[in-house]
Amino acid sequence: MTPLFWRALLRHPLRHPWQLGLTILGIALGVAVVLAVDLANTSARRGFELAMNRITGHATHRILGGPQGVAETVYTRLRVEHGIRPAAPVVTGYLPRADHPGQLLQILGVDPFAEAPFRDLAADLTGGDFDLRALLLNPNAALLSEALGSEVTLKRGGQRLTLRRAGTLRGVAFEGLIVTDIATAQTLLGRDGRLDHIDLILPEGPAGEHLATELRVWLPPDLRLERPAERNQATVDLSAAFSLNLTAMSLLALVVGMFLIYNAMTFSVVQRRALLGLLRALGVSRRELFAGVLGEALLLGLAGTLLGGVLGVWLGSGLVHLVTRSINDLYFTLSVRELTIEPWSLAKGTALGLLATLAAAWLPAREAADAPPGAVLSRAHLETRWRAALPRLLLAGLGLLAGGGLVLAVSHTLTAGFAGLFLLILGCALLTPPAMVGLVRLSRPLTARLGLLARMANRDVARHLSRTGIAVAALMVAFSTTVGVGVMVDSFRSGVAIWIGDLLNADLYVASPAVEDGGDRSDVLTPAALAVLRDTPGVAAISTYRALKIELERRPVTLLAVELAPASQTGYHLIAGDADTTWRLFQTGEAVLISEPLAYRRQLSAGDRIALSTGQGLHSFAIAGVFLDYGSEHGRILLDRSGYERYWHDPAVGSAAVFAAADTDPTTLRTRLRERLGPIQPLLIRSNRDIQGITMDIFDRTFTITNVLRLLAILVAVVGVLSALLALQLERAWEFAVLRATGMTAGEIGGLVSLQTGFMGATAGLLSLPTGLLLAAVLIFVINRRAFGWSLPFQVNPLLLLETLALAIGAALLAGLYPIWRMARARPADALRSE
Amino acid sequence: MNRRFWRVGLAILSAVLVLATTGYYLWPRIPPEGGIINSVGVGSALGGDANAGYQRAYQPRLFVFPADHGPHPAFRNEWWYVTGNLTDATGREFGYQLTLFRIALAPTAPVADSAWRTNQVYMGHFALTDAADDRHRAFERFNRGAMGLAGAQAAPLRVWLEDWELASTGSEPFPLRVRAHQDDIAIDLLLDTAKPLVLQGEQGLSQKSAEPGNASYYYSLTRLPTRGTISLNGQMFTVSGASWLDREWSTSALGPEQSGWDWFALQLDDGRDVMFYRLRRKDGGVDPFSKGMLVEADGSARVLRWNEVDLQPLGAWTSPRTGDRYPAGWRLRVPTEKLDLTVTPKIADQEMRLTVRYWEGAVAVHGHASDRELQGQGYLEMTRFEPPVAVP
Repeated sequence: MTPLFWRALLRHPLRHPWQLGLTILGIALGVAVVLAVDLANTSARRGFELAMNRITGHATHRILGGPQGVAETVYTRLRVEHGIRPAAPVVTGYLPRADHPGQLLQILGVDPFAEAPFRDLAADLTGGDFDLRALLLNPNAALLSEALGSEVTLKRGGQRLTLRRAGTLRGVAFEGLIVTDIATAQTLLGRDGRLDHIDLILPEGPAGEHLATELRVWLPPDLRLERPAERNQATVDLSAAFSLNLTAMSLLALVVGMFLIYNAMTFSVVQRRALLGLLRALGVSRRELFAGVLGEALLLGLAGTLLGGVLGVWLGSGLVHLVTRSINDLYFTLSVRELTIEPWSLAKGTALGLLATLAAAWLPAREAADAPPGAVLSRAHLETRWRAALPRLLLAGLGLLAGGGLVLAVSHTLTAGFAGLFLLILGCALLTPPAMVGLVRLSRPLTARLGLLARMANRDVARHLSRTGIAVAALMVAFSTTVGVGVMVDSFRSGVAIWIGDLLNADLYVASPAVEDGGDRSDVLTPAALAVLRDTPGVAAISTYRALKIELERRPVTLLAVELAPASQTGYHLIAGDADTTWRLFQTGEAVLISEPLAYRRQLSAGDRIALSTGQGLHSFAIAGVFLDYGSEHGRILLDRSGYERYWHDPAVGSAAVFAAADTDPTTLRTRLRERLGPIQPLLIRSNRDIQGITMDIFDRTFTITNVLRLLAILVAVVGVLSALLALQLERAWEFAVLRATGMTAGEIGGLVSLQTGFMGATAGLLSLPTGLLLAAVLIFVINRRAFGWSLPFQVNPLLLLETLALAIGAALLAGLYPIWRMARARPADALRSE
Repeated sequence: MNRRFWRVGLAILSAVLVLATTGYYLWPRIPPEGGIINSVGVGSALGGDANAGYQRAYQPRLFVFPADHGPHPAFRNEWWYVTGNLTDATGREFGYQLTLFRIALAPTAPVADSAWRTNQVYMGHFALTDAADDRHRAFERFNRGAMGLAGAQAAPLRVWLEDWELASTGSEPFPLRVRAHQDDIAIDLLLDTAKPLVLQGEQGLSQKSAEPGNASYYYSLTRLPTRGTISLNGQMFTVSGASWLDREWSTSALGPEQSGWDWFALQLDDGRDVMFYRLRRKDGGVDPFSKGMLVEADGSARVLRWNEVDLQPLGAWTSPRTGDRYPAGWRLRVPTEKLDLTVTPKIADQEMRLTVRYWEGAVAVHGHASDRELQGQGYLEMTRFEPPVAVP
């Protein structure tokens, strides 16, 4: 291949900088979105690993307890009576910073004498300011990370506690961490006499296995011996569904991007068919031409990928905060301050960008190579071929739809769900050109009445199917994803709103302020405070709740021990079973209700049994029913108070719901309760509306990232409309010149262009609606169910559909502006002369 | 195409995760327990600050037993120091040391906000010498004197650091059961009394340097007939022999001019026991505060003044592990008693390579009193020329 050949080939894109720029921008946006999501996911995961590892350290095993943790005497007995070492006690929890609202800091209470084999804290105590004496003796001494400075003030309930630095923790892993002596942590977190866990390093192999077996026999029934690695893995798995969803979203953006690239490359080939024919006549071989077009695509891909890389890193640093926030709301407290840029992520982004571009350019390059030498491939010939291909497209599209449907129907995994989803999208995309021709025919009688210009515009769209078809398909895919994701989020939100509204049907809710801060959740209502709640005039009934994390086959689930007033019972939507029988069974305390995600995940239903580790070891409970629940994807188990006290011996109550008597105003009751409770225990009293508001805020926060991704997809789509239609109209300069020469005014040409682009935008928008709804249905009924186990209502907001349509047409009309402006300025003679 | 990307992406992601996790777990080597303290130096962490607020030994006191077998938390340092030479039926010789140190971090107890909070810290040294195998193993532990993890009490007598323990078997302090276990080494011994308790120095006040208060309260049980078992590498030995208990508590001891000491506890086969410590001066001389005690077979005892005892090092041994040099043996003469003894380590390397580094080990004694041949055994402690902080 000669330089001349390259110059001939590349002259075109260089002469059309707009088209070139938009193509590169399309690739860049696709790559950027994928890369950003990937970076955000990796960073969150890295942050999670760091957080886990800084707590787990080198421990091979861990002794864990029931609701109150592990009695500290167990540790003494382990060391003194059984000589088990290395063993290290740990007390850990979160407290909010007093001076930085919303920031939680993790307290890690350790025993400096037992600590060294476990965590690498010592390695970071190189500073001269480490003061072991202070750490052991002063109740306000702590090892603080550099970022926290020399002291930090925390909040617990109404108290403010200031910790002073007795040593500096260095390293990213220790950000947001406060290390104290175990005594200090117990005091700070109110865990008198309790440990969260005891870490052990048992030898590898049979000796360790033997020791583990002995320990299991010896441990009190409410304690378990576990491998922390497995436990961490379980938590990682749970959040995997979340990152999988994000990754899928970013891949949707890439699919849209690929369509755009394909569109752009096809255009650049079609526009140069004369040149390509000429090159063939001059002796350029088929293979050279094919390589040339692919090479050109590679250059474009490279430029787009580079730009996308920069954009992606920038975007990723914004997304990581959103991801972290969602994870904090959904799963566990995680602080990620840094974007971890893994070389793998960059490599993946680059490979995706280049491969997607090459794949998209493959067909156009083949088309270019097929151009007969010397002859100018007539447009009529091309269009005929396209029209002939319509039935095949129709068949292939229907086939893909059927295939996608089949995959969704027979599979059960989340990955297969996504595969089916992508097949459906592809099928819809292939069906777009035939559907467009159908729409053109349908609208013909209408346009006939609107006059010549409308008729011309209408026929033009169908006549230029080779160019318009792909463009409209690309736009359709872009807009349908935004419709699909939008409908899914709306449906989810309305489901959650109805659920929370029904569930929180009491007038007031009472809990310790510590719970509110997101800090220590072990704070309880004192018996005195409960007595006041029950005896205050105007209180019709109260329900009490006690939530604790338990493990079900190594997965964390929430056990809710409840004493429900009849009104509270009606707030739970039972999915199956007769309400009366179910509640009667439940009140015996021998049967539990389980949430829908738990039932789905473990294939459980009413009548089955479930074994829970209680204060007295494993106990099997009957499942009385399954209730609708969006509160936790891990699952929640509802147990009557009587059963809880029988098997856990824990009289504590974490929060209470208060129903006001019919003749009492809730606001008055709130004031009355506040006055009476004030001297007894500082408690937070909230109305149901407050809590519903908080819940919906959390929901919206969780879906911020989804909305951001949706906006990005819209952005990609709009760039696509611009580049596709711009190219289409610019290519027709000669045609317009002829029309001008035959007497059409610039205004009329403008009208024609606007009508055409508007029609194409409208077609893409219209077709995107059913596709989007199909997508939403799959997201709601297949993807969400498989990922999280909950069933959602299907709720369509008509405004969203109208918005999409308007956006599609608006973007299309915008794309027409520049060609019109150029057309108006161009002298028809110049355009004609070039022929 | 999409599915392939998807799989490739997942595969890459999992590969990265696997690599990262493996790397993280394999990379750091597990440091020894107590490392957090080693890393900052025991000096700054566990001793060395002003004596203000602590009780000090200014004058002789009235010892009351069994109360004084228990802890004296108002003093900064205190120890229960047990050493002994044992043999099994075949004559295989063992030496053992179990020392439990109590160290106060502050003169007064801190706020009692948690059962873990305390100003009392315990350090333990446990060593076993197996002369037949030419092996000496030493271990160290720390824990706080709270939560029952470590502590000391007088009646019934019990001093423990986790599962290292000295404990009375009945209501009387003796017989005393001494147990310790670490890795594949364990001792379980019963110590009885053969001689009355001896108050060292001036009625139990052992002045260590010129400054008033630089002294300890010090008493010894120099001959404790011992029997029990030693487990070593899964092998169990039934042993008997004699042990020695030193009890000492103080707040400050050495003066600035003193650099260290050599301490002898020798049990002779004529029934006599000799204790002598030589305090070294930084200028190389012998400090006049050095002293000892000669305990007769009937239990009567008299103080050995510094100039009554002539000590000559015999050769030198350089630790191959630390490079520190110690005398390879001693000639100890008490002309007034016509005693001429040669003290030889049962094995050369009995260096305690712990937070505080010193040489302490079982020794054999040969020599004569007047014209009579004499044998014996005992324990010898030699500090490095840098004085460790926690020990006077």
